[in-house]
Amino acid sequence: MPALLELICPAGSLPALKAAVDNGADGVYLGLKDNTNARNFAGLNFDAKALADGIRYAHNKGVKVLMALNTYPQPDTLSRWHQAVDIAATSGLDAIILADPGLMAYARKVHPNLRLHLSVQGSATSYEAVNFYRERFGIQRAVLPRVLSLPQVENVVNNTDVEIELFGFGGLCVMVEGRCLLSSYACGDSPNTFGACSPGHAVRWQQTPKGMETRLNGVLIDRYADDEKAGYPTLCKGRFDVQGETYYALEEPTSLNSMEMLPEMARLGIAAIKIEGRQRSPAYVAQVTQVWRAAIDAVKKDQAAFKPNPAWMAQLNKVSEGSMSTLGAYYRPWK
Amino acid sequence: MNLLNFPKPLARFVSTLPSWPASRAFVAAGNLVAWPSLRDLDWSHVAGRRFRVQVSDLGLKLYFSVNANGFRALHNGLADVTFTATAQDFARLALRLEDPDTLFFNRRLLIEGDTDLGLMVKNMLDAVELETAAAGMPVGMGRVVMKLRHLALK
Amino acid sequence: MKLSLGPLLYYWSREDTLAFYEEAAAWPVDSIYLGETVCSRRHLLRLQDWLELAEKLSAAGKEVVLSTQTLIESESDLKALRKVVADGRFLVEANEWGAVRLLAEKGMPFVAGPTLNAYNPDTLALLGEMGATRWVPPVEMPRDMIKALLASLTGPERMETELFSYGRLPLAFSARCFTARHYNLQKDDCQFRCLDHPDGLTMRTREGEDFLTLNGIQTQSAKLMSLAHRVEELRAAGIDLLRLSPQSRHTGRVVEVFRALLAGDIATSAVPEKLDKLMPGQPCDGYWLGEAGMAYHPM
Repeated sequence: MPALLELICPAGSLPALKAAVDNGADGVYLGLKDNTNARNFAGLNFDAKALADGIRYAHNKGVKVLMALNTYPQPDTLSRWHQAVDIAATSGLDAIILADPGLMAYARKVHPNLRLHLSVQGSATSYEAVNFYRERFGIQRAVLPRVLSLPQVENVVNNTDVEIELFGFGGLCVMVEGRCLLSSYACGDSPNTFGACSPGHAVRWQQTPKGMETRLNGVLIDRYADDEKAGYPTLCKGRFDVQGETYYALEEPTSLNSMEMLPEMARLGIAAIKIEGRQRSPAYVAQVTQVWRAAIDAVKKDQAAFKPNPAWMAQLNKVSEGSMSTLGAYYRPWK
Repeated sequence: MNLLNFPKPLARFVSTLPSWPASRAFVAAGNLVAWPSLRDLDWSHVAGRRFRVQVSDLGLKLYFSVNANGFRALHNGLADVTFTATAQDFARLALRLEDPDTLFFNRRLLIEGDTDLGLMVKNMLDAVELETAAAGMPVGMGRVVMKLRHLALK
Repeated sequence: MKLSLGPLLYYWSREDTLAFYEEAAAWPVDSIYLGETVCSRRHLLRLQDWLELAEKLSAAGKEVVLSTQTLIESESDLKALRKVVADGRFLVEANEWGAVRLLAEKGMPFVAGPTLNAYNPDTLALLGEMGATRWVPPVEMPRDMIKALLASLTGPERMETELFSYGRLPLAFSARCFTARHYNLQKDDCQFRCLDHPDGLTMRTREGEDFLTLNGIQTQSAKLMSLAHRVEELRAAGIDLLRLSPQSRHTGRVVEVFRALLAGDIATSAVPEKLDKLMPGQPCDGYWLGEAGMAYHPM
């Protein structure tokens, strides 16, 4: 049985990695500076030197480093993904997080000792799917999409040997990850191939007399009055008109926060809790890691008595999209 | 903790300053204080692009560009990307006390124009370690900066 | 090139659904995909009903493919999936990797659906090795990438390629039901509001532009992918089947337009005149050209 509830934190830069390590992460995940990972934003992520420095820093403090290679390799640039796997294998990383079966086959064949995790972008929501990756490529952990309720998660856990990692906090994908093409429909680039949803080149924010407008390749996603909180420029968090009613047709600007379900997650034997946010600053990583470290320690000490500390929740809400959070699909009525 | 609470009369005075001297003063300070730790970043994608920083509570508009030799003040005109926030929030961002996305959600930071350019600069600056930056600052400045951050975190 | 009628993505009354397929038996399509791929709550047709339809259509000379659900969440979803696989009489379209596993275990040939995300030759080869005899590229895949993937398929047993060529694009799947949300209902008590929207619910921007379509847990484009004016390009690229997605009205006439185009009975220049009036929305073809999916280039 693996350690329960490892805290896995995001790092888009070396200072963010250090913030995660210094504030109590058990593992840090990161990506390279290209479309081999799903946070391919300008200026973000790790080059060779930052990667080496980051691994050294984390390993010195006993913290694992995982690399996300979770986009879908494409025929004319396949070697880029293969090289990224090679880099991961030779740099002493603890695991790579993959979505594409073809890439898993490559990793398995060329670097049989490299630990493989199934990315949330692999869209595996059933144990049949999880076990497919296990049998075929020996994956040791799967990150489940943010669409299952906790009883559904339990059913997966009970029917596989693969460790299960769940999202604990951060940006909330309303759609099944890896199965969402809204971004490419509007602007040509999707997480699957380009490595970003609503990439910066297609986003325009503009203060107008009617309010602050957010557009994606010209499509009006939302318009905010001065006193309204804003969300990311993703299509799923915008306001649209359906049958004459203008509202957040898919989801409000809000973040996922599953903290109150930690005791249940511990009971299910969840191996790790993932914090979303490689695109965010070291300040965010430090604040969120600190809060979740304290919460996980408290759950481990006394599952039955655990209650999220109001100060923790306030801290998390402060950095949430729209300053709000939700239990998402873990809590069935959300659906 | 309030880092920069400008008295109203001072804010009114600052807002009357013309942009060009203000931009020049800002750039001179930037080159002195921040540039040593920013010099090694890859500015090639940013060279020649025009930035505008609007300090909303002071009514101050700063125009500049960045290249391999440092910041350069620009006369008023069109900018490729504009950052708007209060002096207090800019200071908190600079000291890594605040997360830019959080400020954005709360409508305290606005990035207009070329979003990609804005995000790139944000991410490049995030990748600079504050300790390294402070160490590169002129005599005593770095210590003051770290002290300020420390106090604010308390 | 052959024509296929994709799985019905909407929820229609039992009578309407049965009538639709009764008519489809006489349409000039080669393959018909049957089954519920979107939402497990849609139950007006049970597997038994779909299998009966399958037999009828098969007897009418159609190749029948049973499509499986895209988002598998619960044990009962898995049970439904296993039943489809267990029947064994018809070709099955796998829309997630759990289905691939079950089909491969039984040694059954299958169609690799568009949500399996085969973006590269290695993954495509893996699917072939596991039993796929046909694949449907992700709907966002551009022409050049499809060509590169097709170049990797060799030999006499070469997998067929079927492209989503007409209809509202299935773009995203969620745990949440957006139709229920629109009516302030919870998914578990959705009152089957999808039945009121036989072509989905249009979602417009605040500037009044038709943008997306809500279809239960699925989000579609508001525009219809239409590659009718590009059939020659599709042929040249090596596409074997064109998938046409059912709509509540005029589907048979859409099929006829495509059939006439393939036969050379009408010219591609006649597409706007023949097809536009049959479409419940504006056309788009951006994905094929490697652009935003919603873009359109009429040639």
